[in-house]
Amino acid sequence: MGDYQLSVVSNDINPLIHLDPLSHWISINLRSKMLRIKNLTKKFQSGDHTVTAVNDVSLTIPDGVFSTIVGKSGSGKSTLLSLLGALDKPSSGNIDVDGRDVSKLGDSKLIKYRRDKIGFIFQGYNLIPNLTALENVMLPMEFSGKKMQDRKERAAKLLKQVGLDEVKQSRKPGRLSGGEQQRVAIARALANKPSLILADEPTGNLDSATGKIIIDLLKHLAKTEDTTIVAVTHDDGIADEAEMTFRLKDGKLVNR
Amino acid sequence: MGVISRGIKNAFRNTIRTVSITFILGLSIAMSLIMLLALKTVQAKIDTVKGSIGNTISVSPAGVRGFEGGGELLTNENANEISALANVTSITKTVTDRLTLIGSTSNMPTREGESTTTNSTTSLTSSVEAGSFGGRQQRQQVANTGGDATQTFTMPVQVIGTNSLDSLSALSATKFDIVSGSKFDVSSTENIAMLGQALATKNNLSVGQTFTAYDKSITVAGIFDAGNTFANAMVLMPIASVQTLSGQTDQINSLTVQVNSIDNLSSVSEAIKNKLGSDKIDITSSQEEANNTVTPLQNIRSISLYSLIGSLVAGSVIILLTMIMIVRERRREIGVLKAIGSSNAKVMAQFTVESLVLTLVSSVVGIIIGVIFSNPVLKVLVTNSESSSTSSTAPGPGGSGGMAMMSRMGEGAGNAIRDLQAVVDYKIVLYGIAAAVVIAIIGSALPSFFIAKIRPAEVMRAE
Repeated sequence: MGDYQLSVVSNDINPLIHLDPLSHWISINLRSKMLRIKNLTKKFQSGDHTVTAVNDVSLTIPDGVFSTIVGKSGSGKSTLLSLLGALDKPSSGNIDVDGRDVSKLGDSKLIKYRRDKIGFIFQGYNLIPNLTALENVMLPMEFSGKKMQDRKERAAKLLKQVGLDEVKQSRKPGRLSGGEQQRVAIARALANKPSLILADEPTGNLDSATGKIIIDLLKHLAKTEDTTIVAVTHDDGIADEAEMTFRLKDGKLVNR
Repeated sequence: MGVISRGIKNAFRNTIRTVSITFILGLSIAMSLIMLLALKTVQAKIDTVKGSIGNTISVSPAGVRGFEGGGELLTNENANEISALANVTSITKTVTDRLTLIGSTSNMPTREGESTTTNSTTSLTSSVEAGSFGGRQQRQQVANTGGDATQTFTMPVQVIGTNSLDSLSALSATKFDIVSGSKFDVSSTENIAMLGQALATKNNLSVGQTFTAYDKSITVAGIFDAGNTFANAMVLMPIASVQTLSGQTDQINSLTVQVNSIDNLSSVSEAIKNKLGSDKIDITSSQEEANNTVTPLQNIRSISLYSLIGSLVAGSVIILLTMIMIVRERRREIGVLKAIGSSNAKVMAQFTVESLVLTLVSSVVGIIIGVIFSNPVLKVLVTNSESSSTSSTAPGPGGSGGMAMMSRMGEGAGNAIRDLQAVVDYKIVLYGIAAAVVIAIIGSALPSFFIAKIRPAEVMRAE
């Protein structure tokens, strides 16, 4: 990573103007395989007053990087994550993934974007309780229209990759431990070979030892699957493990 | 795994809920089914009763009943006016006369407008014995004329001239079977006749032979069996022939009006009264009988209909509330499905399948309960409304032969209510399932709207 300058910038600096020539060249080269956020703002109407949850955030994350967004609760990190995952629409600004501006996509395109480009990992795992681990992992592939046999094979392969044997693959989430459920969720997030995996407090419900294992797994997958991972956390221990860390305070990006 | 299998799986996700919903919804579907059955059964019965009572109106000149009374006879013109009325399908005109045996005494009063030269005698002997009732006639005659009390009295022979052999009530017949020969042409003016079976036997007449009436020779065209003694002693002739022979040109004793539907009886009766003047004519119709038998059936029909609608609405509400509850409960899961790439339509389809499965399972339960309880429930319905019907089916106006026949039919219709029997056929089951599908779709329409409104960002909410 040290070979090129990372464009970690605060909201009041325009990255395109202030980048040195080398990093500029690199960013152009990686344009099509990169997550770029520009002047992203999200406002909510709460009663009489407007809350700006994400305030003019700009950042760029290259491919295959495990990065974290840290901040206190209410700092807007979860909102930023849902904007990245197209779960919510920004009030203004751009999100550029693989050269496409996500914030300008229509509803049906957004569904496709979520399905094909994004993998989600949640704090509460959010597995479908009456489906087996295998079926949970097969679900995103069903939505993208893969054949039954292909779904099954890939799901089994992914589950094996995250460390779940066949016996556990056929179990429902209720009969798996928290760490195992999160592994299933990771496998599910990887199912459609996304460009970007978004993790919301992925270790929040786990003990620190299991959490460490999950983080190592994510870091490893970022490399082997060449997938950008953005994890939201308030755990500085995890942030230290990340290649890039962004700190949010009151919706604004601050330098560490 | 697909939308359908997930929907089916979800329907059985919570055993207690599935069992209770299946039971409650099953009861409501059973109720719908029972009411649908009751409705169909009762409707069929109403149609039968209406058909059996007949939809005829008898019109006779005011004050004239049979051969008694006075008044003006009806005319062909009157008949034409009535047949021009709306809802009148056909009209049977009859002119009646009585013939006495040549050489016997006549007890008939002189008819209005009757030519005195007309000789109302016949060579036919009536097949009906005078009996004690006839003896009363003889005493009256002796008292009136001061004639010889020892002179033998013979029953006169009834002649009916008609323009139609199709109306049983106009001919006082209970049936009309040709024993030999054939029906005559009703528009004929020739001196031809059909004889009642008994009359023909009594006088040893067969088809092709002749008898004398009005001093003319009349040919027997056919012999009929009308099913009762009175009618089997009659002579039937084309109306024009009787009008000419008896000197009652253009006159009609009674009209039997066939109405297209029993429901139009009263309106047509009114129209006839308005046309001819209620002081000129007497009208009797099967209206009363119809009302007495059909009204309680109609009450059952109304009860069934309201209950059917009620239970269908209840069923829809049950599945609607259930689906709303399920959707609210699985808000987060719906968010997850959307977050990992499911379209609204797919989530909706999954929930619709779930609602369909719940409803279909309930339908099976409902059909079983419905089949078991349809007859008992129908019986309860009937027993309750029968008590109200028996008081109103009290003795109707009796009278001439036709009326007696009508009241007999009315009685049969009264029994008909007790004979109601729900028959479960596969069509009813299909209706039930179709209704269930409709209920399921209605029941998941509103929840689908909620599903569409759930934002995938819901999933980011803290637990």
